[in-house]
Amino acid sequence: MADLAAAPTREVTTRRKRRDWTPELLSLPALLAVLAVMGFPLIYLGWMSLNRWSMVGFEPPRFIGVRNFIQLGEDARFVEALGRTFWFTALGLASNLPLGLGIALLMHERFPGRSLCRALLILPMVATPAAMGLVWVIMLDPTLGIVRYVLGLIGISHPPLWLADPDLVVPTLVAVDAWMWTPMVALICIAGLAALPSEPFEAALVDGASALQRFRYLTLPMMLPTLMVAAMLRLMDLLKLIDIVYVMTGGGPGHLSETINLYNYLAALSYDKIGYGSAIALVLFAIVMACTLVLIWLRRPSS
Amino acid sequence: MKRWQRRRLYAAVAAWTVTAALIAPFLWMVLGSFKTTVDFLAFPPVFVFAPTLDNYRQVLADNSFLRYTLNSTIVAAGATGVGLLLGVPAAYALARWRRTAIGVVLLMARMAPGIAFLIPLFVMFLQLQLVGSYVSLIASHLIFTLPLTVWMMVGFIEAVPVEIEKAALIDGCSILGVLLRIIVPLTAQGIAATGILAFIASWNNFLFALVLANDNTKTLPVAVLGYIGYNSIQWGTLMAAATFITLPVLVLALCVQRYIVRGLVAGAVSG
Repeated sequence: MADLAAAPTREVTTRRKRRDWTPELLSLPALLAVLAVMGFPLIYLGWMSLNRWSMVGFEPPRFIGVRNFIQLGEDARFVEALGRTFWFTALGLASNLPLGLGIALLMHERFPGRSLCRALLILPMVATPAAMGLVWVIMLDPTLGIVRYVLGLIGISHPPLWLADPDLVVPTLVAVDAWMWTPMVALICIAGLAALPSEPFEAALVDGASALQRFRYLTLPMMLPTLMVAAMLRLMDLLKLIDIVYVMTGGGPGHLSETINLYNYLAALSYDKIGYGSAIALVLFAIVMACTLVLIWLRRPSS
Repeated sequence: MKRWQRRRLYAAVAAWTVTAALIAPFLWMVLGSFKTTVDFLAFPPVFVFAPTLDNYRQVLADNSFLRYTLNSTIVAAGATGVGLLLGVPAAYALARWRRTAIGVVLLMARMAPGIAFLIPLFVMFLQLQLVGSYVSLIASHLIFTLPLTVWMMVGFIEAVPVEIEKAALIDGCSILGVLLRIIVPLTAQGIAATGILAFIASWNNFLFALVLANDNTKTLPVAVLGYIGYNSIQWGTLMAAATFITLPVLVLALCVQRYIVRGLVAGAVSG
């Protein structure tokens, strides 16, 4: 469609027989802004990562080469945060994708109030994460929280401490993140389901395939590209998880829920190790990019 | 009951249960914002109680909270306005002349962690003595509002039939004229949706304001942290503040629900 649309305009504009700079001029302001707030800062970040750099203490930045990056390998707190971030990401993907697809299949059915249901699905993902994180802290309160009460109703009388439990703090945060973002996965899947052709399903029905078989051999393979898009979006955000961790646990208990992004923030801006923090930020950027590219590569047409 | 009726009933029950569970935290938040401290400390939790407006009174009586609301509005409106001003022409160029390089920039922006821009921006703004200014906040929020605007607007502009533009060009209209007299009016709805999404993204942003704002320019997501103290949590006031912050966003989001997912594909810079 874009090709068809672009052709006539091009014809009109190239009649002037000159290099046409219109598109460049139109995008120049945006390009300059991108350079100012993104391009230049990234280059600066690269330079800072090669320096010992602090804002207080009046000590001028000192060039130390790649020593910040070498130090990363020896920093147990960084290595742990790295592993933990992958754990967050794995748990997040493993919960968001099946749940999202499940909700989508449900919302794909015909039932009264379907469009209202779908509209309400958007609420968790647009609500201010910092505020909702705090609301969840109150709901998860081990003594007075509504979660304890609801679990009590179904017979679980001694629920864990959630955010204060060293083993459960990460899954609990993943659950809150899942509450926010599984609906997005679901909405993406709903759009994907709506675009599926109906003929294969009709044929399968005629051939007597069971619901399970239809799901396994038709829905799932045909939904794979959609799921990959959802997985990619979730992957990028889970690897960068910070907001709810910051407000809900601050990385605690101890450092047991600290993600790379949170450690990155603390190292650079709380502990004033700007150079070291820059190195972490570059590594985090590289990790997000590498993981996303792997996923794009997995998504490539297999033929 | 016929088979399809039964199926519809099961689907309705299941879907509404899921939806109710997903919006329950909002209901609990709103309910809690009307509770007195005594009601809040009751266990089992009370669902029926004499509502009080004290929490809201306390939040709104706090002058600094109104100040933070104003800050959030200024920053979000600024980041949205500048994003549209710069983004719409760029989206037009991208939609009609197809410069793929911009697509790569957008993907990079989506992948990059916010902290990678935040650290150098903080140092730069510190040197320019701009830390704590609205300028620094608005400029930093452009990191996500600009890619979001371009991404959304390319889609809307591509849907405008090119023949109209062609006719205008032949009649002697300049490209800028085409943009202002044809593209902008014809995509007005899209611009509104894009603007709302950018506003929400900026309103919700936490990390950038945490670092770049000072006590005078602090935005709401950072300010709400103040209600969690070291020893005491002011539960009722926190719930009232959280309701006050999220409610405008929820209402705005419902207005543009069709575009939310498309916006999130490009827009949500977390961290």
